[in-house]
Amino acid sequence: MFEPFYEVVFNVSKNITENKTALGRPVIGVMPAFFPMELIDAAGGYPVQLWGNNLSLGKSDAYLQAFSCSVARSVLELELIEGARMVEGYAFTSICDTLINLRELYRRLFPKPTVELSIPITRTDEARRIYLKSVIASVISGLEDITGTKVTSESLTKASSLHARTRELQRQLYYIRAEKSGLIKNYDFYVTIKAGFFLPRSVYNQMLEDLLEKLDKLPQPKGKRTKIVLSGMVFDPIEIYKIFDDLNIDIVDDDFANGWRTVSKGPLEVADIVEGVTSYVFNPAPCCCLYNPDNDRHPYLVDKAKKAGAEGVLFWYIKFCEPDAFDRPQLIQRLKDEGIPASFFDVELSMTNFDAIKTRIDAFSEMIKG
Amino acid sequence: MTEFQAASKMRELMTEYYIEAKTTKEKPIAWVTSGAPVEFLYTMDVLPIYPENHSAMCGAAHKSLELIEAAEAVGFSPDICSYARTDFGADMTKGGPIQGLPAPDMLLCSTNICKTVIKWYEVVARNYNVPLFIVDTPFMHDGLTRDLIDYTTTQFKNLEEFLTGFTGRSFDLDRFEEVLKFSLEAANYWKKILQLGKTKPSPFNSQDTFIHLAPIVTLRGTQKCADYYKILYEEIRDLAAKKVGSIPKEKYRTLWDNLPIWFKLRRLAEFFEDKKCALVVATYTNSWGGLGDDYDPKNPYEGLAKAYLSVYINSGFEHRINYLASLIDEYSLTGFILHSDRSCKPYSIGMYRMQEEVTRLTGKPGVIIEGDMCDPRVYSDAQTETRLEAFIESMEDSE
Ligand code: SF4
Ligand code: SF4
Repeated sequence: MFEPFYEVVFNVSKNITENKTALGRPVIGVMPAFFPMELIDAAGGYPVQLWGNNLSLGKSDAYLQAFSCSVARSVLELELIEGARMVEGYAFTSICDTLINLRELYRRLFPKPTVELSIPITRTDEARRIYLKSVIASVISGLEDITGTKVTSESLTKASSLHARTRELQRQLYYIRAEKSGLIKNYDFYVTIKAGFFLPRSVYNQMLEDLLEKLDKLPQPKGKRTKIVLSGMVFDPIEIYKIFDDLNIDIVDDDFANGWRTVSKGPLEVADIVEGVTSYVFNPAPCCCLYNPDNDRHPYLVDKAKKAGAEGVLFWYIKFCEPDAFDRPQLIQRLKDEGIPASFFDVELSMTNFDAIKTRIDAFSEMIKG
Repeated sequence: MTEFQAASKMRELMTEYYIEAKTTKEKPIAWVTSGAPVEFLYTMDVLPIYPENHSAMCGAAHKSLELIEAAEAVGFSPDICSYARTDFGADMTKGGPIQGLPAPDMLLCSTNICKTVIKWYEVVARNYNVPLFIVDTPFMHDGLTRDLIDYTTTQFKNLEEFLTGFTGRSFDLDRFEEVLKFSLEAANYWKKILQLGKTKPSPFNSQDTFIHLAPIVTLRGTQKCADYYKILYEEIRDLAAKKVGSIPKEKYRTLWDNLPIWFKLRRLAEFFEDKKCALVVATYTNSWGGLGDDYDPKNPYEGLAKAYLSVYINSGFEHRINYLASLIDEYSLTGFILHSDRSCKPYSIGMYRMQEEVTRLTGKPGVIIEGDMCDPRVYSDAQTETRLEAFIESMEDSE
């Protein structure tokens, strides 16, 4: 059932190149996080999401210190080893100090054009509107320069519904996973979501529809299983899901920036693009990278864990990700106060030995089983 | 390090300031970031307290490690900015040279130095359950633009409203202008002081300016602060006129980029003195000198917006590289030192590339040392000094 998704995830570059040829559209690399890819599609581009990769790091060491997160280091590595030759430009957002400066580094090192959605985090609505209006205009014109195609209200509407459909189908997959816990292996689930980073929407949507149809007919497997929720920025390296699968632990929901925080987003409203982008970026799930006291992560995560019937929450921490690291101690405390066990483990995208993580997951699972 | 006569005045000022902060009953206390527009607070009689400055003080007093360890013991990751860890630790244990900071009544945070401060202040806002006002000053990838200025100015107006509500008092424009006047005066004297580093030999060392930075960071906007920098300026100006150098036999002249290594200030000062190497300019201390550059009395908000946006680490690499090259030229430098600070990603990421480009532009050697401003566990004397020795040799060769 999941083979087509495996085929994509394990042959990323081949798949992107083939799709690029078939579509005749320039590939735009999308950096974390929350860049509305609808804008890229509307400008006639082919957005491909770069949430980091599992390359072993070498060349990037000459440009990024070891205290930079492995998301930034690995995407730079990919460009430096010429593994991103098919990418013609990059789209950034301003979610953290690392990415803001990474864009500057790209501008010094590579001739490929970049655009940035600089996200205003002010609480002053009027100020936000003033600023975001100009940011969006410059993002759109930057994209148009790369693709040579103008964004129109028709192309925006069409792109918006394509992407909205993807997220709607992904949400259905999330619901099935929650309702029929154990039916989808954790590993298969995240391979399926990950495949979506690289495929054109029309292709991926069809694959998801086929999958959902098959899953719909299958019953929930019997037997007692442990249910947990994961939280973090990036759900990689996916090898770790095999550990959960082996221990019969089901991830019934998540709070990953490239998981539910993105999947939960409704359609990008294009009639008033400034309000549309604001709502897209800040809703509905809160993120450690976007200051928004109206949508507090504390009650949100407690509620998520409770609704999912989870027995615990594990924080999947990409080393050196400060936005995530700052929130964690208070969040863990809050969950514990609510009677929800919580813990964390450290991850580097380039890691190949998972023994320490296995030990931590084992210990956590023992603890919640009491 | 140079002991200026004005130093005792500064110690007095800072002691008075912290005593007032710890004892005041009338004035509400705001914790603020170093790049926050405190002029609004002084206008409203809200007392600004700077956790960054306090962490620096803990670092210089060799107290930061125990505070950092206290923060890590409750789960804060060693990956986060060590100023924040020091602050969390001081707050929890009431440790450090002044037994922690007085509790805040509100928080004011500006993103012109980093986005990390948002996360830091969110933690504090939760701990104390106090309001947090953020002045968002986005990164200037392509310089200062009209949109950025309008964005920031609009937020200032909102800050004014917020403070009116918070204090229950109206915003007094005359008082604001007076505060601005003091702020500019201090910044202008500070700038003039730093420019004296161009004198050969330099009458001060950047290590000295790191210490004398405290009032401009904490008391900018008060008369005391402006008066202090006038005295310091006059003293240093006279030394420059008499050609008194801060180190005997100055041979090399270098720049320091990024934060100081607070817990090694003295050791490094001695090291450099021994090598006849004067640190005559620092991008860090320069950051507080530009306040007056854009000031326009007819349009104070806009002037402030420009000043608070135009912070060195809030600018794109092209600007930073050209700026470093211009300092090398203006201060007749023989080389430059970049401190890759594990805690400060916005200041450090991209530095390896900047070193290459600055050397290419100026022909001057540069060195990168790996360190941290407050966490001594990630710093090695031996490694750093070996690297610096090689750098000093390379300056010798390129003479
Ligand atoms: S993992 Fe964290 S630090 Fe790295 S790019 Fe993402 S948000 Fe930034
Ligand atoms: S040291 Fe760097 S990361 Fe820490 S508060 Fe200052 S600017 Fe931000």
